[in-house]
Amino acid sequence: MNWTWFHKLGSPKWFFQWADRWGKVCFWFGTVLLIVGVIWGLGFAPQDYQQGNSFRIIYIHVPAAVLAQSCYLAMGIAGFVALVWQMKLAPVFIKAVAPVGAVMAFISLVSGAIWGKPTWGTWWVWDARLTSVLVLFLLYMGVIAIQNTLDDLQLADKAVAVISIVGVINLPIIKYSVEWWNTLHQPATFKLTEKPAMPVEMWLPLLFSALGLYLFAAGVSMWRMQNEVLVRERRANWVKEEVMKRGV
Amino acid sequence: MTLSSFFKAELLTLFRRKQSIFNALIFFVMVVTLFPLGVDPSPDFLAPAAGGIIWCAIALAILMSVESLFKEDYNDGSLEQWLVSGHSVSVLVLLKVFAQWLMVVIPLVLALPFLSKMLFLASELIPVMLVSVLVGSPALFLIGAIGAALTVSLRGGAVLMLLLILPLYIPVIIFATGAVRAAQLEMPFTGQLAILGAISLLALAISPLMAAISIKASVS
Repeated sequence: MNWTWFHKLGSPKWFFQWADRWGKVCFWFGTVLLIVGVIWGLGFAPQDYQQGNSFRIIYIHVPAAVLAQSCYLAMGIAGFVALVWQMKLAPVFIKAVAPVGAVMAFISLVSGAIWGKPTWGTWWVWDARLTSVLVLFLLYMGVIAIQNTLDDLQLADKAVAVISIVGVINLPIIKYSVEWWNTLHQPATFKLTEKPAMPVEMWLPLLFSALGLYLFAAGVSMWRMQNEVLVRERRANWVKEEVMKRGV
Repeated sequence: MTLSSFFKAELLTLFRRKQSIFNALIFFVMVVTLFPLGVDPSPDFLAPAAGGIIWCAIALAILMSVESLFKEDYNDGSLEQWLVSGHSVSVLVLLKVFAQWLMVVIPLVLALPFLSKMLFLASELIPVMLVSVLVGSPALFLIGAIGAALTVSLRGGAVLMLLLILPLYIPVIIFATGAVRAAQLEMPFTGQLAILGAISLLALAISPLMAAISIKASVS
């Protein structure tokens, strides 16, 4: 297998130029998909026979919730890469993605509460999924807090890598512990291995908005990473050339 | 410095600085006292809630005592000596955590039966409570050690460390109180205790490694 792409990722300059091209593509493609998916889902998808129109919040809630978990998993992997291969970009990735994931966890909490009111009759229950997303949100807050508090950049990078790894190891334990503890939430809407239980015209917009949100978040993260790379490499020649070229 | 002399010195330091151990114990007693005062002093409320109250208080007390685990050593330069001592830093971390665990958990365990009785926990449940503390508390210490190592170079790191570590304590608290509650309902509770033990073992495998990485990054 050819590993050059992996080694190239170690170079901030290469990444900057790569992200310059693909960040925009991801962002705009994702935005269009997201808008299409959400309008389709909110306006045109058929009603649920049980929950009526209130189920439509699924087109925001589920993508955000899935993305919040994916972001943390990605951070854990990046943390591992940062500690083992000491790649410069891995801590940059964690720093860029943590706020995105935290926002997604927050959106899924709020939209879940709004969804819970008409279906369960209450804004909040101490149910397994709700609790584990709340904990996920707190874990994100911890990562962001330690990143911002430690002034020494190298120490901060190590710290977020360590805490991301520990968090990822803990996440399944937290998930299953609260699941055994209490469950009211409906089971997962999407499973990779099974055919969805919804009709096509219901899950297709969901797929659109989920993919759109992923690409959107990828684009935003790439931009955030670009900024961080510029700050960290500000003494390098290629950054000076880049800045001069754009005439900032 | 041999490992045994290191361990002996750690125990001796803790023993001579009794105040920090007492602080954890008093803190534990005070948090437990707040619940009857703040919520409801009747046995109807306290007896079912006792397991949860005691475990939350224990988690906070342990977190408080672990927070300053490496502080002193960082300030007087002992941590630098750890790095050049030729021993594995992970092993030193493990010994230090073990010493701290011995000195903090023994007083807690001694106080536990009295506090359990004050919360109207049935006498036959107290052994379950004790076992859950003995099996679950190593995980709390080991996970806390990672946070302590990460924040050792900060002046006001206590709040940050709470923010980082408390979410990771949730499974331990759930399974420990689950064991006590199952015992209250006269259901089998060994499963929960076994999972507690598993979490402690997992923490034993990961925590010294992660704490050592954090210490090396903090000291350099």
